[in-house]
Amino acid sequence: MALGDAWKQLSWIYYQYLLVTALYMLEPWERTVFNSLLISVAGMAVYTGYVFMPQHIMAILHYFEVIQG
Amino acid sequence: MTESSANKPANGDACHRASGAKKPGRNGYVKSPHLIQQKHCHAKERSHHVITCNGGLYSRPFDESFEETPMLVAVLTYMGYGILTLFGYLRDFLREWKIEKCHIAREREEQRDFVPLYQDFENFYTRNLYMRIRDSWNRPICSVPGARMDLVERLSHDYNWTFQHMGKVIKDVINMGSYNYLGFAENSGACLEAAAEATAEYGVGVSSTRQELGNLDKHEELEKLVARFLGVEATMAFGMGFATNSMNIPALAGKGCLILSDELNHASLVLGARLSGSTIRVFKHNNMQSLEKLLRDAIVHGQPRTHRPWKKILIVVEGIYSMEGSIVRLPEVIALKKKYKAYLYLDEAHSIGALGPHGRGVIDYFGLDPRDVDILMGTFTKSFGAAGGYIGGKKELIDYLRTHSHSAVYATSMSPPVVEQIITSMKCIMGEDGTTVGQERIQRLADNTTYFRRKLREMGFIIYGNNDSPVVPVMLYMPAKIGAFSREMLKRNIGVVVVGFPATPIIESRARFCVSAAHTRDMLDVALSAISEVGDLLQLKYSRHRALLTADWSSDDTSYDGIEN
Repeated sequence: MALGDAWKQLSWIYYQYLLVTALYMLEPWERTVFNSLLISVAGMAVYTGYVFMPQHIMAILHYFEVIQG
Repeated sequence: MTESSANKPANGDACHRASGAKKPGRNGYVKSPHLIQQKHCHAKERSHHVITCNGGLYSRPFDESFEETPMLVAVLTYMGYGILTLFGYLRDFLREWKIEKCHIAREREEQRDFVPLYQDFENFYTRNLYMRIRDSWNRPICSVPGARMDLVERLSHDYNWTFQHMGKVIKDVINMGSYNYLGFAENSGACLEAAAEATAEYGVGVSSTRQELGNLDKHEELEKLVARFLGVEATMAFGMGFATNSMNIPALAGKGCLILSDELNHASLVLGARLSGSTIRVFKHNNMQSLEKLLRDAIVHGQPRTHRPWKKILIVVEGIYSMEGSIVRLPEVIALKKKYKAYLYLDEAHSIGALGPHGRGVIDYFGLDPRDVDILMGTFTKSFGAAGGYIGGKKELIDYLRTHSHSAVYATSMSPPVVEQIITSMKCIMGEDGTTVGQERIQRLADNTTYFRRKLREMGFIIYGNNDSPVVPVMLYMPAKIGAFSREMLKRNIGVVVVGFPATPIIESRARFCVSAAHTRDMLDVALSAISEVGDLLQLKYSRHRALLTADWSSDDTSYDGIEN
């Protein structure tokens, strides 16, 4: 029941995304191209964040002298 | 109780609620002056909702609003167009390198090096944006376009490049797009019988121009009737509304004349002005300060290099602007015209029959004198259910046009059944056929307009235009929503007209509804609930001023309910 509602909600949100980015008007292969580009760029950003965030946070704390050494 | 026009808008203290009963034949005066008081205290919250009662010039409040585009929506719209442009370049690249089959017109291989006949880049928008949602336009109608119509169902298997008709018909689609303001587009009734009789007597083709052998007695009868309807000395009727403008303005203005035309004038007026060879200056839409500045500059500085005075200055405006739904500020334009001694050309294509307590157009709506407007032009397409246009004015002007207009000399005259349709519908509106059908239709149109606009505004859509105009543009903004809106409404059995670039500015695409006297309250309710549903589905309710106005008057009151006069 809840899964069905959640699926409907997600479906509606995907529809809004299609409308706002004008992907609604494009053919399915064009949508695939755009979505893969978007997901790969977003994925790369998340990965970079995951790899470098601890170093960045330590550097900031070091700068503000919260951590010594 | 009587109340004269002089003390109506100025003093809000003598407020007086009229009874709810509809009174046909009433003068178009404001319903209750205390409305203005209430509206003024809300005026601060609505930045662009303009209600003016400009001294004594206006006998009723002039209430129009053009709400500003929300910033986020504008940014997202540009982003959407950007993505479509990028994919357009990609598709063009694929077509150029023959990776994809090209469906558009191209020169033959042997002609590759010739001067190009089909300008590839200029059609970029058509190829890559318009084609994708082309199924929203040019839908074939297979019945009379009245309040309900039948559409042919089309399928496309190659993304709108070609359509197949499977033989199925979508029946009883509520028609919210036809310019059928008074409901005369019908296939039964007095107009039809009269037109059939005229066909039986005169045939359909005229086979000549007005000047040669095409001047039927029906045409003379029509012209006298139209002159009586408008209150002018004489009129002349033409076979096509567009041609009336584009062929007659060159006869009226020429080199050494100045044409001041509104920013948003129709293509026919622009074409006519350009063909005439006069200097054209454009003033901001419905903006009287801009017009006055242009008039003053023109009179002070004269013609561009020689500084001689202009031979004549012609102000060209429209009664109702069909893309915005706004009504021209006619009292102010006439005041300016008289002050600076210019001529006025009023194009009442959409407003004739649709505005005014007697259906005589925008002049009747404001309660002005038709003799103040020099050239009254209009079309029979919208409110009379026929085709063609007319020009009205002084007798000398019309006699001059009969010999000097291109349309009179070269174009075939109007077909007899069409002429008969106009005569019958005009007599019906004037009440001369002995019934009150005409007046009822006018009243019903006014009711429907007020109701429809109020409901849409309550729901939270951004509506442009004057509160009394039967043309209702609902803003869509985003390119994908143009196609989505049209398709979703068709799924719910309602036919709408959506408009995008280049008829409107690039981010301001809209759906344009035309309210008709043929719509019953039930049909409008069905349409409104569907519009609300689609609006929620597509997130179209952008307005920031919801539910602010509407407590002022009850739903039974119309704009023409007046106080006993």
